Amino acid sequence: MVRRLTAGLICLVLLFGLASPVSAAENEPDPLSIAQGIIDWKKSDVGSSDGNLLSVAYLELAGSTAGDWYPVGLSRLGKTDNYAGYLAVLRDRIQERYRQLGKLSAAKATEWHRMTLAILASGGDPTAFGTDENGQPINLIADGTYNRGKTTPLGRQGINGWIWGLIALDTMRYEVPADAFYTREDILTEILSRQLSDGGWALDGSVSDPDLTAMAVQALAPYYADETEYRYQRKQGNTEVKATVRTSVDEALACLSAMQLPTGDFKSWGTQNVESTDQVIIALCCLGIDPLGDERFIKDGNTLLSGVLRYRQPDGGFVHSYDYNPNNPTSLPDRSNTMASEQTLLAMAALWRQQNGMRTLYDFRPEKDEGSGEAVSFSDKDKQTVDALPQNLTTEQYVTVMTLLDKLEQSPDFAEKEAYRQKLAAAKEQIAAIHAEIDDLNAQIRGKLYPFEKISPSDKKTVDFIVDRYNALSVYDRTKIEHWDDVVKTKTQVDNLLRAIVIGIVLGTVAVLLTVFLVCRIRKKRRRKAKEMEELAAQFAEDDEE
Amino acid sequence: MKKDILAVFGILLIAAVLVNGTHIQSVDEYYLTHIDDITPESETVTLSIRCDTILQNYDDLDPALRSEEFVPPDGVILPPAKYVLREGDTVFDILDRAVRYNKIQLEFQGAEESPFGSVYIQGIHYLYEFSCGPLSGWMYRVDGVFPHYGCSRYELHDGQNIEWVYTCDLGQDVGAEWMGGKQ
Repeated sequence: MVRRLTAGLICLVLLFGLASPVSAAENEPDPLSIAQGIIDWKKSDVGSSDGNLLSVAYLELAGSTAGDWYPVGLSRLGKTDNYAGYLAVLRDRIQERYRQLGKLSAAKATEWHRMTLAILASGGDPTAFGTDENGQPINLIADGTYNRGKTTPLGRQGINGWIWGLIALDTMRYEVPADAFYTREDILTEILSRQLSDGGWALDGSVSDPDLTAMAVQALAPYYADETEYRYQRKQGNTEVKATVRTSVDEALACLSAMQLPTGDFKSWGTQNVESTDQVIIALCCLGIDPLGDERFIKDGNTLLSGVLRYRQPDGGFVHSYDYNPNNPTSLPDRSNTMASEQTLLAMAALWRQQNGMRTLYDFRPEKDEGSGEAVSFSDKDKQTVDALPQNLTTEQYVTVMTLLDKLEQSPDFAEKEAYRQKLAAAKEQIAAIHAEIDDLNAQIRGKLYPFEKISPSDKKTVDFIVDRYNALSVYDRTKIEHWDDVVKTKTQVDNLLRAIVIGIVLGTVAVLLTVFLVCRIRKKRRRKAKEMEELAAQFAEDDEE
Repeated sequence: MKKDILAVFGILLIAAVLVNGTHIQSVDEYYLTHIDDITPESETVTLSIRCDTILQNYDDLDPALRSEEFVPPDGVILPPAKYVLREGDTVFDILDRAVRYNKIQLEFQGAEESPFGSVYIQGIHYLYEFSCGPLSGWMYRVDGVFPHYGCSRYELHDGQNIEWVYTCDLGQDVGAEWMGGKQ
């Protein structure tokens, strides 16, 4: 509910199973091979077929909480993958969402922060990522951090907004302009002022939570060596504080150390789980502390890594927890899950970077020896893919078209570049039109076909129009129409009602005709009888005269 | 004479049909259009949607939402009503059907987009998570119990009572102790 972590902890499937005791530190696998296990598991989980994790199937998740963290983990481990595709789809999605009210989210600034990390990891620039409806470049850093307060407070969703805001702002040590809504110090002191008396942080209440404490430390880490004494009012107890960030962080580390369990891991929200441990590893790496060697974080010979490895599954992925939850009948025992695995992937990236002397996980400034990266070029295979695009496109080709168009824009010039650009631009337009049609059709159904009891024959035109438009869609796109069964039901109802009217009219007409027929016959009969009587009377009269 | 009697019969027959109604359906059509009708045999569940907690925390509410249009004065967005339970229906299916029938706005994150493999309800009636403070959002209760997992994973059975309630304090103000459960 309150950011992906808490949301996950609240709603995650809690798994039943026995923790296999993991061996002590000396024969623990290295972070890179643990990470590789996660990547392989995730590839098979999403069904990647082309060797990349960020395959066409995965790219559908770009811009969602389920999608954006894996590219961060992959890239920070130095893995090559389809980052260009990820950027292309994410850019289009963000541009689309920027045209809506509330943009990426009315309440959650962390949407901007998570996407900032995904963009940086994929090699993009979050300060100029696509364009808004006025043609201005979209600046996720400004809108999501120092100027967020111009629309909604950065902390609308709670402490997470401040923490991740600062992490996003410090990814490239972005400058905060003089006319910004918040200064860097504003954001920093908002975090500091929420520190609890036990040294940590929590979403609510007075008892610290390991995840939020670790994340606060990650945000504060760049200021650890800063000698500035910050003045702020601590929210708990309303006490005036004047202290360096280092004092705060040291208190937090003591708090985390005290919370660590003898098995090396942590409990959050009453549940012993892997993600809390992952976040503590990342926090220590951000500070430059060796998470596996620091005495404060070794309990009964168990390191943080031993704590994490308790949750590893034979398939390479990780489970959230082994605590059995009898309230959850749908829990699948011992099944790796997305969030536990992605946070472990990030923790392994943090460890691996530390062991290789690289910048910390969320410090995206270039490494000292980093080259300019390889040039993108539009290959013959890409051309073939464009040539093979069907005449009638569907939204199924969305990811492919966006990826190729982006690649083409970055590619050096070649003879048919303009022709391919036009082809792809036309394809993009066609798919955008289908997306709009699907959205509108869903809105029409929602707005016009309920409640069912009020449906009358006068709705026939509306219903038939919806059905015609549905039939005009491709089989794939039809699956995007919600509650089609309700449309079928409504159509049947309208047709049945109309049929009833037609039957009524036909029967009524027949009845009227029959009545007319009957009346005519009776009259005719009467007339004939009368005539016969007259003739008879005349005959009698003749007879009498004679 | 015979023809007359036949015609009279015909007229009477048509009159009888017209009086009884001409809404004649095939068996399939009947089932299709009556799938959500409540009969003595049908299995049903009850669903309601409330946001009373916002009334006590009005100061925390997003100023843009401070109107009876979004927060009804009695906190009732949808009073308890029965809905027919179809086979395999989850809490999410019933909510989705109920808001469609009653034309109530709903926004959710699909199961594949959310990291915990279930549909996540972001907003109902324009009231979203965090609309009323950092600890606010939608929760559901089935027969008085707050399940620990997503609404599209909860399969319902006959006679259950589902309540969607808005919390401003991580569930503690609606009686969900475990959500605010400190270690």
